[in-house]
Amino acid sequence: MPKKLKVRLSLFILLGWVLLLLGDRVDELRVYQGASIAVYAIAIGSIVLLTGYSGQISLGHGALMAVGGYVAALASYEFGVPFWAGFILAAVFSGLFGGLLGIAAARLSGPYLAGTTLALAVGLPSLANQFPILGGEQGLYFDIGMPPAVLGESFTQYKWFYWIASLAALIVFFLLSNLLSSRYGRTWRGIGSNETAIALSGSNPQRLKIVAFTLSSALAGLSGALLVMTISTASPSAFPLALSLSVVTGAVIAGVSSLKGVILGSVILVAIPEVADAISHQVGDTLRISSTLPGLIISVLLVLAVLFTPNGPGENLRHLLHKGKSHK
Amino acid sequence: MMGNTTRKRAILASALLAITGLFASALPAQAAEVGVTAKEIKLGITSPLTGRAAAVYGKVPGAMNAYFQHVNDNGGVFGRSIKLISKDDAYLPSAAVAQTNQLILKDKVFAIVGALGTANHLAALRSTNLSGRGIPDLFVNTGFSGFADPKKYKTTFAVLPSYRMEAKIMAKYIKDNLAGKKIALIVQDDDFGIDAAAGFAQAGLTFERTIKFPAGGDTPAAAQGWITNTLRPANIDLAIIFATTSTTAAVLATSAALSYRPANGWMLGSVGGDSNTLIAGRVPLAILNGAIGFNFAPDPQDPTDEYVAEFKKIYAKYVPGSTFDLTVIQGMNSAMLTVQALRAAGQNLTRKGLINAIKTKSSTFAHAGFTPLNYSRNSHVGYNGYWIGKYSATGALLPIDGKRTIYTTDSGSGAVKIITSARPKLPKDGLPTNK
Repeated sequence: MPKKLKVRLSLFILLGWVLLLLGDRVDELRVYQGASIAVYAIAIGSIVLLTGYSGQISLGHGALMAVGGYVAALASYEFGVPFWAGFILAAVFSGLFGGLLGIAAARLSGPYLAGTTLALAVGLPSLANQFPILGGEQGLYFDIGMPPAVLGESFTQYKWFYWIASLAALIVFFLLSNLLSSRYGRTWRGIGSNETAIALSGSNPQRLKIVAFTLSSALAGLSGALLVMTISTASPSAFPLALSLSVVTGAVIAGVSSLKGVILGSVILVAIPEVADAISHQVGDTLRISSTLPGLIISVLLVLAVLFTPNGPGENLRHLLHKGKSHK
Repeated sequence: MMGNTTRKRAILASALLAITGLFASALPAQAAEVGVTAKEIKLGITSPLTGRAAAVYGKVPGAMNAYFQHVNDNGGVFGRSIKLISKDDAYLPSAAVAQTNQLILKDKVFAIVGALGTANHLAALRSTNLSGRGIPDLFVNTGFSGFADPKKYKTTFAVLPSYRMEAKIMAKYIKDNLAGKKIALIVQDDDFGIDAAAGFAQAGLTFERTIKFPAGGDTPAAAQGWITNTLRPANIDLAIIFATTSTTAAVLATSAALSYRPANGWMLGSVGGDSNTLIAGRVPLAILNGAIGFNFAPDPQDPTDEYVAEFKKIYAKYVPGSTFDLTVIQGMNSAMLTVQALRAAGQNLTRKGLINAIKTKSSTFAHAGFTPLNYSRNSHVGYNGYWIGKYSATGALLPIDGKRTIYTTDSGSGAVKIITSARPKLPKDGLPTNK
């Protein structure tokens, strides 16, 4: 095994150990939020791969998450497939769906691609209401079951969600960081910067873009399945347009060109409802403000990030750290 | 002199005692029950406060809170005041899950009360495992019969008669009074409607036409399609609307606009049968007049009912300017049941004690319903029947033939029976004193 890979693997094992310890030391709310952070991290990672590397824009990743969520729920609800196999199927089917979409996406760029994916985010989840097998607005039940008895009686359902989502995120990011630092990653970055140069160097940009869209969709599908796990139900309301926009905002805040900020982006997304809740309690009008404030905060953050830190605060933070190191 | 064996036993016993002592001292003093302090009991509710369903069902938390405030202003429950934390689920299952999680994990409520919506609360129950965690889930605001299954949901208590019961009672009325007529059913296509359909099937009632629609698919345009494409061409004699108030309002308002009325009129399920809300939803009184309706509680326009009078007074004091309707009565009635359950659980309030109190002492609870409560060690069923009425020219639901006949049944294969049951008297000022 190459040394770089060994170091990376050790780092991920260490991170896993830290997450494991963390799960035992915080209260149930934080554990549940930890599971949500892992879910968002994978979704943001899929945007980083797509936008930061291959230069394609998607405002419709919520729809791809819905595909994954429904595949996992259908596999479990209708066919009795074990939940872990449901996650794999979710990634595979979303990847296939994304691949088909990618063929069209590879021919589009800029606002046309953004518009197409946005339309998908608006329309796709509501399709569930047209097909009875998808359970309408009520959705499909997705139950991963109680944690194994060997983990003890005090091991809660929330911790089980946290363990599964965190493990999935660790595996995804280990594989993704290897992929992005490989020849593929460099070529994708090249497409994002100068597509003609990549074509002249003998690579096929169209094909590479489709591969990127497929992989990104598979990751989005997996995060959708994990999201459905944490709420036990796949329903259209779990995948609103706001979800797609939130994930994009998270990616912009994280710094869309690198995987290193995804945790920051996902923590912010999970913290926003808490901040909104705290503000609305201060103001006194809890209902009207708390239901609209999260969307407002996300929009403001997106605008501020684009205005002041076009590459995202996460990227600026990394530059600062690098500067600090080089001055020493 | 102490023998070797005896000495060993003594050493072992001392060691065990020391270890036990060490562990005992390390353990915290017995923690107080979650959500209960010396001065406060924290309860939580999820319901639609925004979105289409909010106009009707969004009144439930306010109605419950009005009653709790009335109790708090009169000494609370054994000196503890009740704090109701209300969360908006916009009538969406995913939001209901998120908000129920918030209530349990962040707000740390003692119990959930009056959660609203079949699909929403089903999703929340499955996700949050209230049953496994021992969190009381009282008086859910839905008639889905599955919630009254104590094996599946150990801590959940239904209060409304189930949709299956209502469908069976509707079927009995039709068989007794409208045999041979062409009947149509308009029903929401989810667990709510499935439960009702199971009741009709159990009673052996078949339909000339059945219109199923997804939740949220009850737009006026859809209602126009149902009338012009299905009901009118089939020459339907009686159309049953077994859906929420927004659906009932859409169908009735559209039928008025199209000058359509089935030969024997409309039959409205209790969920969508509150006349005040229907009138507010632009349903002309003329089209409501003569429709058949079902209720387990008194009609909000009934001037002779002591519960209506007291609830109206309390509601006007704490929620001034808001219309007093059936949703308010149901909310306040559930709040009154909650207070009595908390009292019956005693001063050392625990979740287990509360559940036990409902199972063993609810026969002493005062309530506005006309059927008895059916809670016991093996039953989580609240009310189990209805009286049947006709809407008057003012929109009041009046007992058919001027006599309030109470029909009861179960959610299974049991027959529909007529009972005579005396309703418990309202406690003075609406303040329970039970123990």
